[in-house]
Amino acid sequence: MSRQGFFRSARLALMAGGLATGIFASVPAGAQDADTIKIGAPLALTGGLADEGKKQDIVWKMWVEKVNDAGGLQVGDKKMKVELIEYDYQSEGQRAAQLAEKLITDDKVQFLFAPFGSGHTKIVAGVGERYQVPTIACVASSESVFDQSFSHLFGTLSPNGGMTTAMVKFFKQKFPDTKTIAVLGRDDVFPKSMAEGIAKAAEDGGLKVVYKELYPVGTMDHAAALSSIKAAKPDWIYVTGYTQDLILARKQMQDLGVTAPIVTMVTGPSYKEFTEGLGPLANGVTSSSWWHYATSYKGQGVWPTTADFYSDFKAKTGGDPDYVHGSCAAAGEVIADALKRAGTLDKAKVRDAIAATDIQTFYGPIKFGPNGMNLVRELPIIQVQDEAIKVLAPADIKNADMIAMPK
Amino acid sequence: MKPLAQYAAIIVGLVLLGTTPLYADNYILRTAATVAMYGALATSWNFIGGFTGYPSFSTAAFFGLGAYVGTICQRNGIPMGVAWTIATVSVAAFAALLGGIILRLRGHYFAIGSIAIVELCRLIVSSWSDLTGGGDGLNVPLIHASPDAVTRLFLFVMLGILAASLVVTIIVDRSRLGFGLRCIHQNEDAAAMVGINTTAYKIAAYTLSAVFCATVGAAYASWTGYIDPTDSFQIVMTVKVAVMAILGGAGTVVGPALGAAAFVLLEEVFWANFIDWNRAILGVVIVLLIFFLPGGLLSLRARLRRASGGAA
Repeated sequence: MSRQGFFRSARLALMAGGLATGIFASVPAGAQDADTIKIGAPLALTGGLADEGKKQDIVWKMWVEKVNDAGGLQVGDKKMKVELIEYDYQSEGQRAAQLAEKLITDDKVQFLFAPFGSGHTKIVAGVGERYQVPTIACVASSESVFDQSFSHLFGTLSPNGGMTTAMVKFFKQKFPDTKTIAVLGRDDVFPKSMAEGIAKAAEDGGLKVVYKELYPVGTMDHAAALSSIKAAKPDWIYVTGYTQDLILARKQMQDLGVTAPIVTMVTGPSYKEFTEGLGPLANGVTSSSWWHYATSYKGQGVWPTTADFYSDFKAKTGGDPDYVHGSCAAAGEVIADALKRAGTLDKAKVRDAIAATDIQTFYGPIKFGPNGMNLVRELPIIQVQDEAIKVLAPADIKNADMIAMPK
Repeated sequence: MKPLAQYAAIIVGLVLLGTTPLYADNYILRTAATVAMYGALATSWNFIGGFTGYPSFSTAAFFGLGAYVGTICQRNGIPMGVAWTIATVSVAAFAALLGGIILRLRGHYFAIGSIAIVELCRLIVSSWSDLTGGGDGLNVPLIHASPDAVTRLFLFVMLGILAASLVVTIIVDRSRLGFGLRCIHQNEDAAAMVGINTTAYKIAAYTLSAVFCATVGAAYASWTGYIDPTDSFQIVMTVKVAVMAILGGAGTVVGPALGAAAFVLLEEVFWANFIDWNRAILGVVIVLLIFFLPGGLLSLRARLRRASGGAA
């Protein structure tokens, strides 16, 4: 065989082999262990939502490790180990649905953890509903996700409505001169509902909304919107979006000299990336969050108190947990508690047990309303002071007084 | 490939996908449906990208518009099948109108213009909140049937669209239109000189490349039950479809569908087994395939024949 000929055949063999492996490896591995509880999680480990996906990944692994070290979860009279099966759906909704179906039919998971964000939660919950597999969503807070009468979807975040009214009330009390508000929101499920929510709450609270616009996903320049806001001279500027949008908006506000006594960015300071990215510019920005590690809740589960969770998390990652970490770790406790009460893996019984959840955890109380969403509770209002997150309210966990936005 | 071999390959492929419900679980069925779906998209792309040689990246725009038109119709009480038809017809009309404008561009300029269409559609859809729900997306009424029945239904729907797109490809391939498109591919000016109405031909190819994408989009929306602008108008999808067609063999009849099947299966395997490295591995595989097989998978046959001394 000539040298060239050899290479040609080698290449062909390589390619044919590659394709064949592709085709055969997709045949499912059948045997499953009857003594494990399987939880499936389609995660955005790459793509636009990768940062958030990795947060879910890390706390779920921590939780599973902790549970299994303690012997597993109590189901009836025996303890069962937990297995977490994760796939990367690359921040693509279509793939999320496909992987959810794979988890249910191929890996035979008994529970699903929904991925980050309201939109993808909807997609995964749709698949879960079809197969009647309970789906726990830990990072979807928009009521529009829970309004489709899905009976197998449960969310550990409280409705965002709870965030807006309390905030208007609190700010009016701290800064009685606040009369006007400008709202700039990202046109995406959660940020949009927050923008609409705050505008409504502000009007109900006697404020005047002098500016309210939505910017499309992927906007790289807020200059035009910010200039209009500057002209309206509001007492309070409220911007919604995800970390990158808000870092950009804050920097452009600085460049254009747009400011107000109160500047709120949601979710901004809830994520440490926001303060890290902005440095001193982040000072004075207020926000609301669903959970903060400064809270001191006590309850059941592998982490009896918030402090226990915090120290474990700190030891594992070296960083501070945010609400995504807290809420997702608590999602595991919902399953643990439901299995203990149901005493069986029977689908319908487990679902009913989840629906009847009423527990205290390190993350706070979890009790699902009729739509499957955690009930409203008092949520922390936070502010960046000296590049660190301080809690302003509620009063029992507050560790700083509110300051005006530095000029 | 000889016509008879072509038909045989198509029938074998469709039967292979269509018989999965007999033995496989829903995940395999869904994968088969995804193969059919991308097969139809790649076969559609082939009209403009393969035959005519115009590097179009508008696939996701047609897919997304189809999804939105179909969903809006369904939400207004129009039955599913009729909604899909309306989506198909209206997006085809849109593509024909758009083609008249955008096909004046050539080469890289056309490629960029066609990508811009995807972005533009996404922005319009996400800003027109009254109609499209904006960033909130839209829910499509879920079909109330067992998961098995639903998966099977959409497998057959996607297979039907794939079959239709292949039939149209065969007709175009053997007709004056296909001949004209190939002439345009080789030399557009010369084609115009020998009396081919290049504008009309190109618009026909562009419209054909939109028709099935719209049907697929509308069917996909009914299947998933929820659509939003980010997922419906994905640049990644647009590029993926072109890669699939090139992988299988652009400008051939069965190549694009074959490429789609290979691509989806590779994706599936790497995603399931290498959670951290899937993208890197897939990238390497694509680079290798395009590097060693620039003519696509179909050229493998010719190569095999040569490698074994022409005996096969």
